[in-house]
Amino acid sequence: MKFTSYKPLARSVVLESLRRKDLWVVAILGFLIILCAGTLGFFGFDGLEIFAKDLAVTVLGLFSTIIAILTSCRLIPDEIKNRTLYPLLARPITRFDLLVGKLIGSVAVTWISFLLLCFLTAIALTVFHVHPSVLMLQYMFAKMIGLVVVCALSMTLSIYLTPNAAATMAFILAFGTPMIARGLIMSATSVGPFGKFVYAVINGALPQVQLFDIGGRAVYPNWAPVPLWVIGFLVAYGMTYSFAMLGAGWLKFRKQAI
Amino acid sequence: MKAWIVAGSIAGAISFGVYGQKITPIVNPPVRIVGLEAQDSHAAASLLGQFRTSVSAFLYLRSDLYVHGGVEMRPMTKDEERRGRQDAKESHDEEVKLDGEEPIVTVIPSEREDFRGIFGDVEREVASYKPMEGHHHESPTKSLPLFSLMTWADPQFIDGWTSGAQIILWEGKKDSAEVAVKFLQRGLDQNPESIDILSEMAFCYLRSSTNPEHPGKQYDKALPYLERAMKIGLDNLKSLSQVEGESLKENFRRLCICYRELKMFVQLKETSEQGLQIFGDDASLRKAHTEAVLALNK
Repeated sequence: MKFTSYKPLARSVVLESLRRKDLWVVAILGFLIILCAGTLGFFGFDGLEIFAKDLAVTVLGLFSTIIAILTSCRLIPDEIKNRTLYPLLARPITRFDLLVGKLIGSVAVTWISFLLLCFLTAIALTVFHVHPSVLMLQYMFAKMIGLVVVCALSMTLSIYLTPNAAATMAFILAFGTPMIARGLIMSATSVGPFGKFVYAVINGALPQVQLFDIGGRAVYPNWAPVPLWVIGFLVAYGMTYSFAMLGAGWLKFRKQAI
Repeated sequence: MKAWIVAGSIAGAISFGVYGQKITPIVNPPVRIVGLEAQDSHAAASLLGQFRTSVSAFLYLRSDLYVHGGVEMRPMTKDEERRGRQDAKESHDEEVKLDGEEPIVTVIPSEREDFRGIFGDVEREVASYKPMEGHHHESPTKSLPLFSLMTWADPQFIDGWTSGAQIILWEGKKDSAEVAVKFLQRGLDQNPESIDILSEMAFCYLRSSTNPEHPGKQYDKALPYLERAMKIGLDNLKSLSQVEGESLKENFRRLCICYRELKMFVQLKETSEQGLQIFGDDASLRKAHTEAVLALNK
């Protein structure tokens, strides 16, 4: 593992994203958020603070996940398609280093986009006199860790599948896992101990992205901040799952004929 | 690409915007058409209508979430009801107890019902979760802005108007009835043939008022709304939906109460007879009819 190689690899991903004007899309989305908030404010709906926060965390969660998936899914396939992978691998780095560097880059792009959206959303929320809170900061932090998981999952899927199929699968897993988990919980009441064990394995294999969403607490009043041990668990789980995904991707990528 | 094509396209887009409001009666008819006729005949009405209905339905569901302070609830499954889940308890908050609440449980299960171990524990800590035992309801007035928004987005969403009015009445302020009627009047302007809204307007005056200027129930003020609702119901009897049919039945009952309290026994007899022709098995209407006959024979 060559830590010094990660920075230029990640930097190249960020520069590529800037060149492709991805952040412009984020800025336009942010502008739309402000426009919608302004419209509601203009029509004079009082008492919509909770709704505005609800909408904000929904939009933030949605857009940041889309950006994470679309950014991560194309990294490796694009390098192969554009034949830019050869000069990269000609350098003294392993394929695992390449994956790590690319993942850091995609996480950086996603985080920049997310923070930009957060900033624009915060401006929009001022229309409704909503001020930042500890829970909002916790929401942002947890979401950023969750985005690492989404990036790692998407990049790994792109190694095994075509970019479009990987993006589709990543969308299904990122948005569908909470629903699958709910289904497992409801049906687990009618299965035996072995069935519950199988359910636990399936549930454990799925990326638990819903755990990184503190939006519900941040939106509604009278909720206490999330305990620190939970934040610690989220960081540990996020890192472990991402590393596992990276490892799974590397298993295929290390022997992949290019 | 020719320049005149671009210019023509721009002019077309502008004129569509200017004259687009002519499709408003199609997309936003004053009375909701019951059945599939609208979707069959007007694709635009179907698409835009579905979008607006989705928005209003989303907001309506959201209002329930507001009342529960963000805690997501779901009705119990048949299996759970049969097993008798221990964590399904009603609200302990007597002051804000909602009528007609079905047996419900939280979407995120309690530790006892969760097979996920640490994942479940963490989700209960990060999500807006509270155990059902002793859970309380927030004031429904917190969701009132949502009703303003949903009726603005979809003025034909009758439940939005009537539920919004119920919440205004629930506030129990001195002028709650007047505010609720004003709110419903806006709904009636958009849905002039709605039995539900008219019936709800009458209900605003039929509940015990706390206003010292006119305490108690104001039967005389409720009467015009009930009479109008009955006329609409009778004129459209064949096309009424099941819900509207129930509203009409309730409307007949209320109308009979008003006539009885205002000592208008001739009208009471006529109305109860009309009601019994449609809802023959209704005990309240039968009782009202008997009362009217007895009063007139005195």
